[in-house]
Amino acid sequence: MFEQILYPSPIEAAITRVESLIGDRKNSIPHRTMALLLLQKDPSLWSVSDSDMRSQLKQELDFAEIESIIAETEAAISESLTFAIAQARHQLAMEIEQDVTIQPHQQRAFKHEWLHQLSVHPLTGIPILLLVLYFGIYQFVGVFGGGILVDGMEGFFESEINPLVNTIVATIFPWTIIQDLFANDYGIITLGIRYAVAIVLPIVTIFFLMFSLLEDSGYLPRISLLVDRLFKTIGLSGRSIIPLVLGLGCGTMATLVTRTLESKRERIIATLLLALTIPCSAQLGVILGLLSQEPAALLVWATVMVTIFLGIGFLAGKIVSGEASCFYMEIPPLRVPSLNAILTKTYVRLKWYFWEILPLFILASVLIWAGKLTGLFDFIVTGLEPVMLWLGLPKEAAPTFLYGFFRRDYGAAGMFDLHSSGILAGQQLVVAAVTLTLFIPCIAQLQFMFKERGLKNTIAIASFVVFFAFSLGYFLNQLLTIMELSF
Amino acid sequence: MDCHDCHQSCQPKSHNLGGKLFNFGSKKLLKKNFSQGSTTTIALVGSPNVGKSLLFNLLTGTYVTVSNYPGTTVEIAKGNRIIGGEKVTFLDTPGMYSLIPITEEENVARNLILNQKVDLVIHVVDAKHLAKMLNLTLQLLEAKLPVLLVVNMIDEAKKLGIWVDENQLAHRLSIPVVSMAAVKKVGLQKLIAKVADYVRANSLSIAY
Repeated sequence: MFEQILYPSPIEAAITRVESLIGDRKNSIPHRTMALLLLQKDPSLWSVSDSDMRSQLKQELDFAEIESIIAETEAAISESLTFAIAQARHQLAMEIEQDVTIQPHQQRAFKHEWLHQLSVHPLTGIPILLLVLYFGIYQFVGVFGGGILVDGMEGFFESEINPLVNTIVATIFPWTIIQDLFANDYGIITLGIRYAVAIVLPIVTIFFLMFSLLEDSGYLPRISLLVDRLFKTIGLSGRSIIPLVLGLGCGTMATLVTRTLESKRERIIATLLLALTIPCSAQLGVILGLLSQEPAALLVWATVMVTIFLGIGFLAGKIVSGEASCFYMEIPPLRVPSLNAILTKTYVRLKWYFWEILPLFILASVLIWAGKLTGLFDFIVTGLEPVMLWLGLPKEAAPTFLYGFFRRDYGAAGMFDLHSSGILAGQQLVVAAVTLTLFIPCIAQLQFMFKERGLKNTIAIASFVVFFAFSLGYFLNQLLTIMELSF
Repeated sequence: MDCHDCHQSCQPKSHNLGGKLFNFGSKKLLKKNFSQGSTTTIALVGSPNVGKSLLFNLLTGTYVTVSNYPGTTVEIAKGNRIIGGEKVTFLDTPGMYSLIPITEEENVARNLILNQKVDLVIHVVDAKHLAKMLNLTLQLLEAKLPVLLVVNMIDEAKKLGIWVDENQLAHRLSIPVVSMAAVKKVGLQKLIAKVADYVRANSLSIAY
């Protein structure tokens, strides 16, 4: 049997005393462990909140007594008890490692150490990051996925499938109302499925492929290291880059991952930034694909997003009270990713994503159809039109924002459509893209915000996001007009 | 409405499709067992980014997202496999550094192994940083939990010139130790054999 670790005798004495306090209670946890956890001020044993373990304990345990045992022991060993216990354990672990492993005489560096250094040193790291962004994201996702692939599939849909569907539907159903449900401008097949299959699917496939590659190669955490200093100034630790970077994949999941952050303050800031500035992969893909058609527009969009991210983060860091926590993160090694793993991951993500959006896109088509039938759609769109004009957008953009209420990527796909038919161009494209990116995230993310942060924070964050998105769209439009930037 | 990366309610059906396409895990793993034996529950625990989720995928034939990125798993995933003629339920847990949690997601794993009935804890460690990881092993043993130690990533360790003597380690800790390179499925059969030993011993001790 494994021998227990023997701690320095004052600690052993303390353990024995606490053990006797615990007494003969039946517990799944051995007394010695319980005593050690109590002596180390284990948060869930000591916290006031009623965990089931604690409520049992409360009646029987004399916490004041343990408190004094800790104080006495710390006086005897003249260091923190938690530290001393960890120290003893660590020594044994070190000793076992020495005993059972053969270590190289010299600490041989990681095989890819030079690559690691290159990727995290600001002088070389930032150019590398820019190269990765340019080739990996802009060229591959934007130009190839958003341009070539989407053009091909959209063109095919527009020229072959849509007319065919329109004709077939027209022959089956003599009534225009039913025809409009499936075909024509807002039909399930001609709009909903076309958006999902011809615009979103190709871009997202390419983006997921790229994202999986970045993830598995270990490059993502190196970006974290690179921007850590930047993050510190806005009151976030390097650790909070994890949910933010994951937010580029899926904001919903990232909101869930904010629970890995240590302080409540960081969690709120990260949730806000996720809701406001971080576009999820689908949205990012579609927006990149769209704006890549006009590189100047892409540059303005990117600059605005980064500025807002830093600005809001900085302000939130000032407003939300609490301690800034220190950076601690594991840096996984750089690895040559396995093709199999990447394909599997892309496939699983894509399948999940596609089956999630397809019904929603169809539902949106049905709702638009019903809305048009009842006049509600036109009513809302008419209501939104002044807002569109206020933002300097054509009034045809109003439905797009309505789609955006369902999902941001659906709205983005709508923008793609407007752009290719020449309605949305240049400055308008930038304003629309920025406003839509800032806009409320999808319904799922809102749900998770509620689950993780509670009702009060969710309402506060959501109303701020809506207000901010439209005001910023307005100011950006004014600014671009004043600066007479042409695209 | 959930996202596929969390395990709570995602991929409810036929997520082995990916497996079929990319030959991820063999069909044998998915065979259903209807024997009425008591179920053995085994939790996979360890620091972030040591390969718990990958091992979980290999053991159960299901797919949970695996990344070269700490913090990918935030909730517990469940999967089954028949080992030693019994249904064994594996639990994939978020990473934890110590029995005393710092963040919420570490607490998830801790509460699981301390407060719920787990028959065996498989502690997955990175062979490259053994000392740092053994810290948790010692804590688990201190808590008198039945522990099986998986020393993972021996392939990467070897490249750095680090060799781990698994027998010596097993002797020092008095627990079963399996060294693995889960990415290449090295050591998987051995691990399954050890788990089978445990399951058999366990069901015997219940029977008599």
